[in-house]
Amino acid sequence: MSAATKSANKSTVSKPSDREIRIERTFDAPRDRVWRAFTDPKLLAQWWGRGNKLVIEKFELERGGHWRFVEHGPEGKHGFEGRFREVTPKDRIVQTFEWDGMPAYVIIETLELTDLGDGRTKVVTLSLFHTTEERDGMLESGMEEGLNQSYEALDRLLATME
Amino acid sequence: MDRAFAAISDPTRRGILHRLGRGDASISDLASQFDMTLTGMKKHIAVLEGAGLVATAKVGRVRTCRLGPQRLDAEAAWMRMYQEMVDARLDRLGKFLERTKGGAS
Repeated sequence: MSAATKSANKSTVSKPSDREIRIERTFDAPRDRVWRAFTDPKLLAQWWGRGNKLVIEKFELERGGHWRFVEHGPEGKHGFEGRFREVTPKDRIVQTFEWDGMPAYVIIETLELTDLGDGRTKVVTLSLFHTTEERDGMLESGMEEGLNQSYEALDRLLATME
Repeated sequence: MDRAFAAISDPTRRGILHRLGRGDASISDLASQFDMTLTGMKKHIAVLEGAGLVATAKVGRVRTCRLGPQRLDAEAAWMRMYQEMVDARLDRLGKFLERTKGGAS
């Protein structure tokens, strides 16, 4: 029966504001399983790391808790880390996200799971990019034109994505 | 994506992208601005060029660098990669859920 509903599930990408990206996708799995895939480190390690070995160094799933993942790719190691800001079981996680390669570019990620009632789960990730202070600092340093070009490029890119 | 990831993981290369966002520059200009050898700068430019973030053209004896076909500076490149990363991660989650269906869950 699952063959009939075999997922052609695709992401929907939108930009709710200047600083946010929202990605929505539906999964053919009940909310419990999706929640566990996101919160059980043993399960997380199996899909999070782009097929590379993923070492979960810290995963303190509670408000204020610290998480840190290190992905061991063919071209080297990439570390990612942040803190949990909100953890509401099966429903919502708000956390910060920072890649070692772009220090101080902290993204606030919100993950929301919605039970669609038919064994499927809607997953929404909302990513809020860097602070207004950082953005304004960039503008002061003469980056406005470069940034506008970049955002135009990003617009075009987003427009080509389903 | 890994190539772009590697390209902007270096602070000097991010600085180069920011600099080129304000206008074209020769490799020797960049080398002196970033206080490094010509050889060192050439390596950074090669990495950025390989990722499509920088394009170079030789005019006479001078190789000029400008932002590449992607026209992205480091920040936008990072945002774009981040977005691809999230999207690809959801793909893998879907496959993982499919693969582990009916398992002891």
